[in-house]
Formats: sequence, C-alpha cells, structure tokens
Amino acid sequence: MNRPDGRTGGRAVATAVLAAVFLTANPPDRLTAQDSQFGIRGLGTPGRWESVRSRSTGGAFGPFDPLSPLSEAGLADVPQLTATAMQTASYRDAVVAGTTSALRATRFPLLNVAGRVHRRLAIAAGFTTYLDRSWDVTQRDSVLLRGTLERYTDEVTSDGSIADLRLAAASRLSRRIAVGAGLHLLSGSTRETAERRFDDTTFHTVQQFAEVRYSGIGVSGSLLLGVAPGLSVTGWARADNRLRATVADTTSAETDLPRMAGGGILLAPSPSVRFAASVAWRGWARAGAGAFDTWSWSAGTEIGSGRMPLRFGVRGGQMPFGPGPTAPTEFATAAGTGRAFAQGRALLDVGVERLERRGGGLTERVWTALVGLTVRP
Amino acid sequence: MMSRRVTLIGGVLLAAACVERVSAPGDCPAFCPSGQIEIVDTVLTSIISRDSTFRGYVTALHAPLLLAADLPGFVDGRAIFRINGFGQRLIVSTADTGAILGADSARLQLTVARRDTGAHNLSLAFYRLPITVDSTTTFAGLAGPFTDSLVKRVNIDTLLARPGHKDTLTGDSVVVDTVNNVLVLALKFDTAAARYVGTDSGTVAYGVRVSADSLASIAITRSTLSWQWYLRVDSIGTPVARKPGSLGAAFSSFVFDPPPPPPDSTLAVGGVPSARSFLRVAFPHFIRDSSQIIRGTLTLVPVAPVQGAPSDSFVVEAHTVFTDVGAKSPIIVDATRTDTAIIHIGPRDTAQIEVTNLLQFWASDTTRATTLVLRAKQEAASFSLIRFYPSVAQAFRPALRITFVRRFPFGAP
Repeated sequence: MNRPDGRTGGRAVATAVLAAVFLTANPPDRLTAQDSQFGIRGLGTPGRWESVRSRSTGGAFGPFDPLSPLSEAGLADVPQLTATAMQTASYRDAVVAGTTSALRATRFPLLNVAGRVHRRLAIAAGFTTYLDRSWDVTQRDSVLLRGTLERYTDEVTSDGSIADLRLAAASRLSRRIAVGAGLHLLSGSTRETAERRFDDTTFHTVQQFAEVRYSGIGVSGSLLLGVAPGLSVTGWARADNRLRATVADTTSAETDLPRMAGGGILLAPSPSVRFAASVAWRGWARAGAGAFDTWSWSAGTEIGSGRMPLRFGVRGGQMPFGPGPTAPTEFATAAGTGRAFAQGRALLDVGVERLERRGGGLTERVWTALVGLTVRP
Repeated sequence: MMSRRVTLIGGVLLAAACVERVSAPGDCPAFCPSGQIEIVDTVLTSIISRDSTFRGYVTALHAPLLLAADLPGFVDGRAIFRINGFGQRLIVSTADTGAILGADSARLQLTVARRDTGAHNLSLAFYRLPITVDSTTTFAGLAGPFTDSLVKRVNIDTLLARPGHKDTLTGDSVVVDTVNNVLVLALKFDTAAARYVGTDSGTVAYGVRVSADSLASIAITRSTLSWQWYLRVDSIGTPVARKPGSLGAAFSSFVFDPPPPPPDSTLAVGGVPSARSFLRVAFPHFIRDSSQIIRGTLTLVPVAPVQGAPSDSFVVEAHTVFTDVGAKSPIIVDATRTDTAIIHIGPRDTAQIEVTNLLQFWASDTTRATTLVLRAKQEAASFSLIRFYPSVAQAFRPALRITFVRRFPFGAP
C-alpha cells in the first residue's frame, strides 16, 4: 500500500476505522444541522450533507466534494489523508400568525475523515446529520375539566438528532470514470419532554420525559464521469430502509425512509474558475402523512485556486415535512471563502448563508455562519 | 500579518460562538408535535370497600384544648381543672416557713384559642368543684356543683369593650393577640372565690361553663392555663403577704353531654373521643402503572349536617398507612403525603378531599397498602363530628375521581 508520496495507506485506514468506531459508539448529541419549525410535525429537519466549501456554493459542489458525504465517487480523487469538521451558528426568525420568534442554535453537523488506502481505492468515515429533532414548543390553551375551563401552558421539547454514520469507499476505474459506494448507519437519540402546567394548581403539573433512540441503515452509490477536460458529471443514489424509534427498549415507531437520487455537473474552464450545478430528488413521501417528495437544486461558483478562493451559490427546493397539501419551499444564497495555513496542511473555510423557508403560513428566515476546519497531516 | 490572522480567527470564533435558543410559541396543530398530552377524568365508584370507623384515639383527657360549649340540641360541654396547692406552710424567709393563713386573691390566666366571633354576650362562669375531680369524673357527677357553686362570671364582650380591655372594679383584663388570633384572659378571683384551705393542701378545682346569646362554644388552651395565688402567711405572729410562683393545672379536662353515639356502619371523623375512618382502595393498575395522576378527589356524602358553632369547623386529613392492621394501623404522617379538606358546620354538602398526593405516592411505590385514613387534623379539639355514608350504601358510597394523563407518545413522528 505504498503511495507515490511514500506514505502508507495503513495510517488512513487506521484513522478512518478509529473514527468510525468512536463515532458509532458515542455519537455526539449536538451533531445536528439547522433546525426548522417545519420538522416538528414530521420526522425532523433533514441535514445538509455538505462541507463548508460546498455549502458556501449553495451545495452545488456537494456531489463532487470528497469531504461532503453526499456522494462517494468524488472520494476517488482525495490526494491524501484529510479530516474536516464543521460548525454552524444559525439565527432564525420564525414568523407565524403575525408572531415572530427569534431562535438560535449552534451545531456541529459534520466530521469526515478520508484517505487513500490503495492507488485506486480511497475510503472515508464520518458522520453528518440525517435528521435534526431539536425543538421546544410552548402553547397556551384550555380544556374543560370537571365542568370548568382550565387554562394551561404546554411545553413539549425534543433535544437531539439522528446521525448518519457513513463508511464509504471509492475507486477511480479509469482516467474518466470513478465509482463509489457507502454504508450508512443511522443512529441517534433525543431527550423528549412533555409538560403541562395548569393555572389552577389543584391540578398537578404533568411532567413526562423519555429518551428515544433511533436506528436505521442505508446504502448509497455514485458515479463520476469526466466527459471532457474541465467538464465532469456525476450521479448518485441512496436507499435507506426504516427508521426505528425505541423508548425503553420498546419500539414506538417504525417509519419508512426515502430513496433519493441526484446528479451534478462541474465545469472548470480554467484552474481558477469553477462552476457547478446539482439537482436531487428525495422520496420522503414514504414517511407517511404530512410528508412530501422533494426536489432541490443548486448552482454555484468558486473563483481562485490559491490560498483564498471566493465562493458563491444559490439553492432552492422543497422541505419534506409541513402542513397543508403542498411541500414548503426554501431558497438560499450563500457565500464564503477559505484560507490555507501551515503550508496547506490546514484549511479554514468560512461562509455565510441566508435562507428563507415558506409554507403553511410559516415563514422562516435564517442567517447561518459556517466554519470549517480541514487538516491534512 | 499577525494582526490580520488574529482578526480573522477572532471574527470566525465570534460568528460561530455557541448559542442556543429553540423555544418558540406553537401554532398548533400545524407546527406542533403530532402527539398530544391526553387527559382522562374518571369517577371510580366501586374501588373503595371494606371501610370502617374506630373511635377513641384522642380523649378529652389528652386533647390539647379544653372545650366548653352550650349548643342546645347538640352538646353541653364544660371545662374542668384542678390546681394543686402548696400545702399548709410556705417559705417566708431563707430559713423559716410560716403557716398559710389564707388567700387574699388569686389570678387565673387562660387563653381562649377559639371562639365564634358571631357570638354575643359571650360569658364564662366559674364554678367551684370538688378537688377530687379526675379522669373518671362525669358530666352527671358534676351536675350539683355546676348548679350551686358559681364563684365568678365574666362577660368577655363587656371586658373587650372597656378601655384598655381592663375592668378596674373586678381586676379582670384581656389581651387580644392578633398574631396568634387568641384572647389571653387574666381573671381575678377574690377571697371568696379563691379559698385557700390548708387541710386540702390548698388544692382548688373549678369548672367553666360558657354562655352567649347564641353560638356559645370556646376552646381553652390546656398548656397555658396558670393560677397565681396571693397568700397571707404567718411570720412569727405577723401576717405577711406572699406571692409564690404561679401554678399550672394538675388536672384538666372537659365533660360533656350527651355522650358520643357508639360507632355504627357510617364513616365518622372527628368528635370526642376522636373517630377515624379507614377506606380500602383497590387502586386500578391501568392508572397506577402507565399514567401520571394530576388530581385525585375523594368524594364523601355526609349522612347529616355537621353540628356545632361555625368556629367549630375542622380540618379533615387523609393519610395513608405504613401497613394496614386495622384500627391501630400506623399512619404515615408526612406533609407531602397528606391531603386535607375543611369540614364546615351546617351545610350538608358533599365533602371533597383532594388526595392527589396520596395517589401519586401509591403510584410511585406499589408495595404500599392502599388504605386511606380520615381523621381530624386536631383530634378531640372540637365536639363536631362528621358522618359519611359507607361503601355499603350503594347510592351514596364514597367515590374517587381521578384525573390522569396517559403516557405521551414519545418517538412518534
């Protein structure tokens, strides 16, 4: 397993396996992505399987980015052992029925380690957010109890997420063709509480809580084609089986998870200018009532190949969960840059995203700050 | 160069600083969880059985209060007490004692812990009783002294109306303790009323009757009863005045008529001697095991209105027991596991006792005996007694109304 640079692939394998074992054994609670009120009534808010670099281009570079866990084929071109992690801080205004709630959250939605184990084989392991289930809903209402209208305040909370733990491999079959495949373990938990406080304290406060554990499995595959110099296309597909929710070792729900597919095109007319676009379909309607199949698209560019490239992008599409007969929609613009340190062994990527979601009378406007750190030891 | 890097890193850290605020008002049902808190309110009429009443837990002799009442048709109660004297001689100097010649006067201090503010012309009448009064003394046995041995009468309303609450002629006074909501009476007994008889060792005994235009019912704090002698003592042929230390009651109790009715099938609580009722509850498993109880109310139907003066209203406590061994079941006395209700005099309303704490206790520890004990909070502190229909009275049997919450559907999408 000697590489041209003289390093051995065993180090990458060891690092990847170690990371996978560690993450599978104890997935972090706060590895969630960006929350949304649209996810409260459904399974949650799907994560975005993109690194800061891809996210800053609206996600357009996601299918080609070896450090974004969206697609595996791009891994085939990872030059050396590389690890990346990402943090986001989102500031969200949710406007519904004329009421605005200012919400904010910090998340660690991505950690990925990739490396080459053979001249034609690269592998990666890491986690990303599959579904975010962190929310806190309060409500004032009343109920007729014992002949009297009793007013109360409800607070139902969920804190946690479902992580996608991925073990992926990719191989460049020829100068023009690369393929990849991935195994996805879905694992996570939420601490959920339900509380009702009556104005009339004769009725004691209702307080219930549970830790819900989730599990599931999925597979994915992808293909990357070099159509012409500077022009590449890619396609990917993924199928997840069922998401099992267990409370105190008892299965409380089993939900079908979506099949999904997507593709992208990358145009690099010069080494310092790259354009990309992508599209994806996800069959979330399988998840049950109130869920929709979704389309999403993105387009973006990266200018500059040196120590500090500039990135721009837009994306749009649908949200899988929401009230009413049609899926909520979302549109976002993003921008970012990166900076190399330590002779290129460390990369700091930053970005900012402005997102708007609409549907069912709810509008969400989100500013998200993105910070990513990539290390190439 | 360095400053630019510091600025860049600082800006990045600031932008990504940890923040968390996810609480938002819900716009339900569109943007709320699909699962809801489901409340069930049900009346369980057949889960209480094998109920019984026992009497005699606290008697007049052990009650913290001395009761006196004149409530025609209900009860005639009279407080009695005995003060033991100093004997025939008293210390007059460090080395000498002298014969007690007699008493100039005495002062009785007593605390009226409870009275009915609606009672007018509330008066206390003091009768000299035989010094042999003890725990075996009966109401009938004191009929004579309470008829012909009146030594003093004091009208509390008149005393309260006087300037400074003092009567300079009789030497009586009263202090209104608004903090503890009691009256502290200091009553002067003159030579005729307070006779120091050396051959009786100076022991005296008195009985107290209460009267008023209506609602004549008071309670005297047993522990604060005190008696101060003002004596004349022979000091080498010369009578000298001496004020020895004040004395507490060597014996105090109260007698009343009619005597309490014997226990029957009804569920009695209160009275003198105090009565307790035991109710065995078949606590449903479906509530105990998989629900959260947020309110439980024990509903009891009185057999008859509770008699007494309004001030005789009392608090009924519901306890559970460590183990159910019948009348002597040890009660768990814990404020967090005790529920109470006030029983008012007069109306024959259904009594409702909140027993939420007890039901939650049973739900949290399924090994406990699910037995309810009803007793007065201050036993033998009121003549008033309430009687409830037992479980054998199908139409009016005790019932338990429970409001509970089913398990929230956590994990449901």
